[in-house]
Amino acid sequence: MALGKIKADTLEHSTAGSLDTQYVVNGSAKAWANMDGDASTPVFRDSLNCSSLTDTSTGTINPQFVSTMANSDFVSVGCAHASGVAWCASVYVGGKTTNQMHFQTRDADSASAVDADPADIASFGDLA
Amino acid sequence: MTVTPQFQGTHLFDRLCWAKENLDGVQSDYRVVYEDKIDECAKILVPDPNWMACALRGGILPPVQVYWELAKDEAEEGFTKHTRGYLLHNTEPVEAMTEEQAIEYLIMKDCPQHVWREWDSGNKPKMVICRKEQLPATREWRNAWKITEELATDETVAA
Repeated sequence: MALGKIKADTLEHSTAGSLDTQYVVNGSAKAWANMDGDASTPVFRDSLNCSSLTDTSTGTINPQFVSTMANSDFVSVGCAHASGVAWCASVYVGGKTTNQMHFQTRDADSASAVDADPADIASFGDLA
Repeated sequence: MTVTPQFQGTHLFDRLCWAKENLDGVQSDYRVVYEDKIDECAKILVPDPNWMACALRGGILPPVQVYWELAKDEAEEGFTKHTRGYLLHNTEPVEAMTEEQAIEYLIMKDCPQHVWREWDSGNKPKMVICRKEQLPATREWRNAWKITEELATDETVAA
């Protein structure tokens, strides 16, 4: 590959100790998306490792991975916002597969599904 | 223009990181509207700008058939973990696509197979490629959106 490469198993600070690079590799998000979920159809504002999003219904968006996860034990976290209203975001886990994240936004008071902007999600785990 | 490295054998995630650093995102106006369950509203597929940039550039993404192979593995009873992830990284990347070819690739990757393989087998199309302007301008009644039964070019395709 024509890219520059540094190989190291450990990062060492002059005074604060050292860190195994596996912590960095394993602890980094393998995919993330910042979406406008309140547009006529939701769109990506920015992302990493996503090929598309599926607008499934009100408040529910499934971004798809390009580089899939090794298994379905990966973890996703999300958050969402809309001004003037109390909202919460949750990651819907039904039918979890290695090729997509599940994102759902619900009103914190009524629990009904709502569209939000921004709608953000990130996934952590092992890549295939 | 930045030259795309020879990526065959490079982890796909590393290629995406390179693309994010070196390619400008391409926001497509295309949308794919599909219905995969009769009692659910229409779903809308929206391309990712960074992915579209990779598709248009070529030499980055694996052939779509690789994803089908992984999906087959995952559908096996007792699946716990992908053991053929190397297919994503070692298969020769696809060449540059047009935006329309990229949308076709995306359909075959991210839409359920039963939808795109039999998209026109029923009383009305199960799937439509359209421009974003052809979708409703607001999300009112989003959970009731369906592909219109009187489909014609240059008209709103979901209502």
